[in-house]
Amino acid sequence: MKKDIQGIGLGMASRFAGSEWAEKWGLRHPVEKLAYRSTKLGFKLVGQLQQKQSQKKATDNTPPKPAALLFDVSLTEEQQMIADSLRVFAGDELRPAAHDADEQLHIPDTLLRSSMDMGLNEFAVPESYGGSASQLSPLNSVIIAEQLGWGDFSLAYALLAPVAVANAIARWGSEAQKQALLPAYLTGEPMRSAIAIQEPQPLFSSQSLRTEAKRTRKGFVLNGEKSLVPFAGHADYYLIAAQYNKSMRLFIVPHNSKGVSWQDEPAMGLRAVGTGRLTLNNVSLPANALLGEQETPFDSAVFFALGQLHSGAIAVGTAQAALDYLIPYCNERVAFGEPISHRQSVAFILANIAIELESMRLMIWRAAALAEHGQPFQREAYLAHVLCAEKAMEIGTQAVQLLGGHGFTKEHPAERWYRDLRALASLHSGLHA
Amino acid sequence: MKVLVAVKRVIDYNVKVRVKSDNTDVDLTNVKMAMNPFCEIAVEEAVRLKEKGIATEIVVVSIGPKVAQEQIRTALALGADRGILVETDEKLESLSVAKLLKAVVEKEQPQLVLMGKQTIDSDNNQTGQMLGALTGMAQGTFASEVAIDGDKVNVTREIDGGLRTVALNLPAIVTTDLRLNEPRYASLPNIMKAKRKPLDVTTPADLGVEVKSTLSLVKVTPPAQREAGIKVADVAQLVEKLKNEAKVL
Repeated sequence: MKKDIQGIGLGMASRFAGSEWAEKWGLRHPVEKLAYRSTKLGFKLVGQLQQKQSQKKATDNTPPKPAALLFDVSLTEEQQMIADSLRVFAGDELRPAAHDADEQLHIPDTLLRSSMDMGLNEFAVPESYGGSASQLSPLNSVIIAEQLGWGDFSLAYALLAPVAVANAIARWGSEAQKQALLPAYLTGEPMRSAIAIQEPQPLFSSQSLRTEAKRTRKGFVLNGEKSLVPFAGHADYYLIAAQYNKSMRLFIVPHNSKGVSWQDEPAMGLRAVGTGRLTLNNVSLPANALLGEQETPFDSAVFFALGQLHSGAIAVGTAQAALDYLIPYCNERVAFGEPISHRQSVAFILANIAIELESMRLMIWRAAALAEHGQPFQREAYLAHVLCAEKAMEIGTQAVQLLGGHGFTKEHPAERWYRDLRALASLHSGLHA
Repeated sequence: MKVLVAVKRVIDYNVKVRVKSDNTDVDLTNVKMAMNPFCEIAVEEAVRLKEKGIATEIVVVSIGPKVAQEQIRTALALGADRGILVETDEKLESLSVAKLLKAVVEKEQPQLVLMGKQTIDSDNNQTGQMLGALTGMAQGTFASEVAIDGDKVNVTREIDGGLRTVALNLPAIVTTDLRLNEPRYASLPNIMKAKRKPLDVTTPADLGVEVKSTLSLVKVTPPAQREAGIKVADVAQLVEKLKNEAKVL
């Protein structure tokens, strides 16, 4: 109530101050002053009111409310354990496999298997379908993605691509779709599946896709082309983004559908993911291939935002890996008789990386926390993504630069991080937190 | 068979340890803490015994401040069934820990007590042996292999130039060495399950143990910095220096 009174007063005063006739009559200055005064008075009043209320509260016997957790961004005990456990996993399993996977354009099956043992898939599948996720948790997803990213960007992306599909089905799928698809993530051979959004054309916009789905009597027919699709030709099925009824929708497309063809498309980064180009030529799909038709209506903005958070978090992890690598290097590398970290031109770069990294992480966490609580988070996710895309690229460049000649060689992982960290800016994420 | 595993919260082994500027102790502010690696090996061994169907229940105990609950939760996430925290903010020496553990052993009556051979913070390597003496239970230390055989446990230890295996009557205390096993990762579903496992908190007073200190920490200093080496002109000078400066010849 008190806010309303102040708001109305303030609104009136500012409308008055901004109006044309105030200008005409030379009244702007006094009126502006009035607006300023009334604001000041208003705040004073609100302050007094709040003080009175708090005094009144103090005399009550009711215990004071615990301080709002708005500014506490520390992880819970459980989240910390998840992060710690995955950090060890990333260090022991991902980091040593990263170089070869990058060379061979392939993620080893053993790694997909150990990620299953680690429970990454199980964690994405809700309890009611045999998994162990008590609820959809974008926050847990970004914590996991960051730690995996610390091991290696491409391998983390490859391990999370199937998890992202499971997340998307768990969020948007119908009961029947969940029953049919989710249990396969828990047992048997490691599941390879991925989301395909990106298309090979200039000025690509995820809001107007060239890939089109048309309704037929039996279901749908899809036509179009997708680029940088993970697991080119080796996945069990894909969620393919296509334009349908003037909006973007996801379709479940098995890899062996008639009319699907493949071409390898290795890129500068993301090599372990085994990216490829997928062509859809009159691919006919059954009516139940469309995701987000029944229980939860599909929302493309939420879908993209969750993808941006997921991939942004991987970049945070990889950038952290770069910083963790650079600090001891710069302290040990001696030039002109002292460690290079003694030079401000080096020290400032390291300090800036640390500052940028912390901002990236906090923005991702903030957006993910809003998403977790079911609040609008698209704006926060977008801002986080822009920051991450820009800074990740810079941090990758600095990592190569600070290692000097070593940065250029493949003996150090910096050049791989440099290549992978550039992916974020040109990638329309195929992930989903 | 009930197995009791003792775990300790220590500075993470990856962290570079710093000494406080007044040399009173190691600086623990803002330092990452974790479960002592030898304790982790003990937990892993207990979980393997359970997977083999030998152990029926794994109880984890830790003694220390409230935050030591984190390490108990980690052990629960690795596969232990139940946790006990003996909460105290006192700085404990090995004998106090052994006395507290004795009280827990009497209460829980485990058939096997597994613990790390030492913790990486104080490196004492005493508590297991002291607990053995206090309880009168058989003890096998520095285990690199543990095999339960009926009412006995065979414990193998690496010694200079070979292995030595001892057979202990149960109940027994076994302290674990580095090569006993390689601990698993706490998987994500198990971390979630750990939240629902019971964790009891008790105090030294509840256990009827008086914690007192018989030694005081005088000084902690970092290792001396290595001095830069020198180049010698020829062998004669080298021999001369080794004889007169290093005094090794």
